[in-house]
Amino acid sequence: MKRIIIDREKCDGCLNCNIACISAHEAGSNFYTVNLQSPAAETRNFIKFDAHKGYLPIFCRHCDEPECVLSCMSGALEKDPLTGHVQYDESKCAACYMCVMNCPYGVLKPDKQTRTKVIKCDFCDDKPDGPSCVKACPKKAIAVKEVSL
Amino acid sequence: MNSNFSCKTCASADQILETFISNLSVDTSHHRMEGQSVKCGFGLQGICCRLCSNGPCRITPDGPKGVCGATADTMVARNFLRAVSAGSGCYIHIIENTALMLKKTAASKGVLKGKLALAKLAEIFEINETEEHVCAEKIADMVLADLYKPDYIKMELVEKMAYKPRFDRWKELGILPGGAKSEVFAGVVKTSTNLNSDPVDMYLNCLKLGISTGLYGLTLTNLLNDVMLGEPSIRLAPVGLRVIDTDYINIMITGHQHSIFSYLQDRLIQDDVVEKAKAVGAKGFKLVGCTCVGQDLQLRGEHYKEVFNGHAGNNFTSEAILATGAIDAVLSEFNCTLPGIEPICDELKIKQICLDDVSKKANAEMKPFVFEEKESQSNEIIDAVIESYQARRGVVALNMDADHGNDDTLTGVSEGSLKSFLGGTWKPLIDLIVKGEIKGIAGVVGCSSLTAGGHDVLTVNLVKELIAKDILVLSAGCSSGGLENVGLMSPSAAALAGPKLRAVCESLGIPPVLNFGPCLAIGRLELVATELAEAIGVDLPQLPLVLSAPQWLEEQALADGAFGLALGLPLHLGLPPFVTGSPVAIQVFTQDMLNLTGGQLIIDDNAKSAAETLDAIIEKKRKELNI
Amino acid sequence: MKIVIIGVSAAGISAAKAIKASEPDTEVVIISKEDSVHSRCMLHKFLGHERDAKGINFIADDFFASKGITWLSNTTVISLDTQKKTVKTHDNQDISYDKLLIATGAAYFIPPIPGLRESKNVYGFRDLKDAQLLDSECDTAKNAVVIGAGLVGMDAAVAMLTRGLKVTVIEMTAAVMSLQLDQKSAQTYQQLFEEQGAKFILNDKVVSVDVDEVGRGKTIHLASGKAVPADVIVIAAGVRPAFNFTEGSGIATNHAILVGDDLKTNIDDIYAAGDVTGMAGIWPNAMKQGRIAAINMLGEKLLYEDRFALKNTVNFYGLTTLSLGNINPEPEESCEILMREDRHNYQKVVIKNGVVQGVIIQGNIAGTGFWQYLIKNKIDISGKNKDVFSLGYADFYDLDQVTGDYRYAV
Repeated sequence: MKRIIIDREKCDGCLNCNIACISAHEAGSNFYTVNLQSPAAETRNFIKFDAHKGYLPIFCRHCDEPECVLSCMSGALEKDPLTGHVQYDESKCAACYMCVMNCPYGVLKPDKQTRTKVIKCDFCDDKPDGPSCVKACPKKAIAVKEVSL
Repeated sequence: MNSNFSCKTCASADQILETFISNLSVDTSHHRMEGQSVKCGFGLQGICCRLCSNGPCRITPDGPKGVCGATADTMVARNFLRAVSAGSGCYIHIIENTALMLKKTAASKGVLKGKLALAKLAEIFEINETEEHVCAEKIADMVLADLYKPDYIKMELVEKMAYKPRFDRWKELGILPGGAKSEVFAGVVKTSTNLNSDPVDMYLNCLKLGISTGLYGLTLTNLLNDVMLGEPSIRLAPVGLRVIDTDYINIMITGHQHSIFSYLQDRLIQDDVVEKAKAVGAKGFKLVGCTCVGQDLQLRGEHYKEVFNGHAGNNFTSEAILATGAIDAVLSEFNCTLPGIEPICDELKIKQICLDDVSKKANAEMKPFVFEEKESQSNEIIDAVIESYQARRGVVALNMDADHGNDDTLTGVSEGSLKSFLGGTWKPLIDLIVKGEIKGIAGVVGCSSLTAGGHDVLTVNLVKELIAKDILVLSAGCSSGGLENVGLMSPSAAALAGPKLRAVCESLGIPPVLNFGPCLAIGRLELVATELAEAIGVDLPQLPLVLSAPQWLEEQALADGAFGLALGLPLHLGLPPFVTGSPVAIQVFTQDMLNLTGGQLIIDDNAKSAAETLDAIIEKKRKELNI
Repeated sequence: MKIVIIGVSAAGISAAKAIKASEPDTEVVIISKEDSVHSRCMLHKFLGHERDAKGINFIADDFFASKGITWLSNTTVISLDTQKKTVKTHDNQDISYDKLLIATGAAYFIPPIPGLRESKNVYGFRDLKDAQLLDSECDTAKNAVVIGAGLVGMDAAVAMLTRGLKVTVIEMTAAVMSLQLDQKSAQTYQQLFEEQGAKFILNDKVVSVDVDEVGRGKTIHLASGKAVPADVIVIAAGVRPAFNFTEGSGIATNHAILVGDDLKTNIDDIYAAGDVTGMAGIWPNAMKQGRIAAINMLGEKLLYEDRFALKNTVNFYGLTTLSLGNINPEPEESCEILMREDRHNYQKVVIKNGVVQGVIIQGNIAGTGFWQYLIKNKIDISGKNKDVFSLGYADFYDLDQVTGDYRYAV
């Protein structure tokens, strides 16, 4: 399965990955036009900072045994048998948020605006070039690699 | 759920303030820290450049130079010089307005309250003129003439103002400044696209800007203000939110230009104005101090007791002051006038009037101060404020905190008042230092910021460490606003000092932290240092004196810092000024500066270790002085 | 091998999925008394007319067909023969098995209150059938009474409020959702419901129901003396595991089907998973149990270890809440209780000896999944020198550089 591998020593907290992610989910936008002030602008990846450890990139792992999928009562979250990525079907989701409750890394979240859906990384599987965040990192701290699970 | 704006506010050294702010229903800078907590590493290191459309460029392993070929060293130096230029510009704007004010006041035979200051300046400027107004106007003209010189003509007052050994060294280094405004211009031009790419040249340029900032923007502004508004005098004063009296119509002031208020502050206590206030149910008008101009009013407060109740707090206390609901108007003429006060003023119906467009708030009424119209302008302001008072009092809820602050902060300390206090000579102070009763002096100055542990956290902790080591602290700027509100500038704070310093303070009845007032007063500290050095017969770097701007905030602070380094002093900052991405910058500031001016930059965000470093430097200098 | 699964909810479906993912050649027969697969957690969406029956299906339409699973719908199991290894259905089929998984869930319980069991218009809110019956009632009913303000009761209430009924909720304890929330967080929801017209009668019990001439309950009488009119009554007073078909089979039960750590009953080849085991009636746990039982039935050995069940999320009227662990500690427990609130959030953390015992986060629950890990693994957080409310996974960040797996640095 393809996964985003993180070299956190390289991360410099520029948050380009956040911008790229938001732009990837705002149809037709680019880095000039993406509206970072819109309440709908939500990044699926996070950079945290710890005074001792430095920058800590938190990206969905599309886990081998995804707690989110194992808790979904609507069938909205499924692990795609081909790509291995956990995909989300908004039309099925009933916003119960048990997936939010179960992700051990705190990756999932309700949407800020309406609390009627879940915001989660989709690995940009709809994009030919792969995850937008990876392309946007100026330090190449994140890369797509094949991992065997 | 309650009505608090957010659970997450940053820490403050001022616990009462921290609690007050965490319970507010309005958004403040303290609330916004959380959302801005993950900082971009490129920005922090100064290695991001946006000067041209091939950018923005960042220095990365794959991109070790910008597209134009700029290295990290060039980028950092350009960014830094541009910031120092802007900071210098701010201070030069202040001295320019102050000098113009003095000129017009003198020309119109207005009252000049500071006779001693006038005489002193006349002596320094070598003006032989007995008629005070003519003399004052000449002084103003000389200052303005210097400010307006082109950059290729050196300013004349530098030699008169500066300590000779310093002047000689600056001349050797080729960093004597030309016209102050032109120097700012030059700094901006030099740092534009594909122009100067020599970091060392740019850092020397920063020192030059530091000199013009320090001598004109800082030192002369104080002295010219003293002439117009009266010299500072030492007194105990109340500080904090408790100074706000709801029985009065309260005007909060923000800025650095005390002279802009000189007419208004006298007008507000005149009988007909007081009657206007009474007619709407208030006892009168009060000015509430905030930011450096508030410190200036506090400094000279002896002369303004009726119209000024006290200094409520520093820049990052301004939102809390407004949130008390007891402020009816804000008059702004410079910084720090946070953009964040705009929604607060909207919500609490606080009238905003801007007296100098450099500090225009989006929803403020623009009323640029015009000397010739000061009477009518003041009347208009008064009427507008009364309208605001009527519209808002009783409608907008009050949220006071009578516990915040204290009633016995020692203020009014200046190079003149301190010397008088010591009997007209520096000898008592020098003796105490020689004997070791006072180990040394630390100027802990500058801004208040919300980083480095939180609001004033590093500043307060550092000062506590320093005084515990018997080091006397002189403070000027928003840092004073923080220190005084937590009681470190009250005589009782002597209990926190080391045994020797404590004994000195208790015998003199002073706190171990002396309040020189606004950040402009860093220039007063320079005068004190110069007079001490003269008395002992050494250059400034030899004094057991260190400088710290622990929570420097803005570009002006960087210009102040350049002045400190030009004076040859060890300068401590809590956080690096966006320069650590450049090895040359580190080398120049922390090592080479010692050979250039004698100064040295020390960066340490830990109060304990910073104090130990500064203490060690003082010990070393004492040893070298054989004391 | 032939595996028979009784039940098509969380545990049953999860088991079927796991079997087919691991050993696709296994013959799987799944039996359900319903004619459709549905998620009971979404019944309120059905009753509130937000979704139709298909819309609350949590599996793909072609799930059984595409996986080669035989689905016997509308079929009730009435008994089983552990010697012959067969189950008997209501229409007299005898279905043989090599391994059997009982995932028949639980049924709602109507307390023996005079008039309540007799009334024809009393419904549970457990299965789609219940929701369908309620659906027709809601077409004409004006006054609805919900007995029990737990999660199920509140689900029913929110749906019926959407349908325009006047809803009165009666609750024995002092607050709504008193098993999941504390007073403060419960009150916020109560207010939201009241703003939509709901009425709550707390600290009160139903003592009798007046039944009319046609057998419908018309008036609810409470211990306080109050009387509440009712056109339709929803009973949400708890569920009991449903396993009466195992009577006489020799399977050990005690108000539920008893299983070991591998989810096997006392009878070899017979397993049980989900609400029928009486362990933790939470959807994610039932799914895990189904999966583990399936893996064990296929011959591997996997123990059901992650049993942490004190976990809930609530989402009504746009207000989301996460509740974990022990959130209402007794004074004798000597827990440290930290609270924080602002206009959008109420947060409570219960700590004992540096270990988080319980958490309530009401408002913004983004990224709060890490709390469950801390609580169920009893992680000591006393060394973390920061405000507990600003903790996150980042404070336990550990990364496998090669696989990219996250771990917890404890």
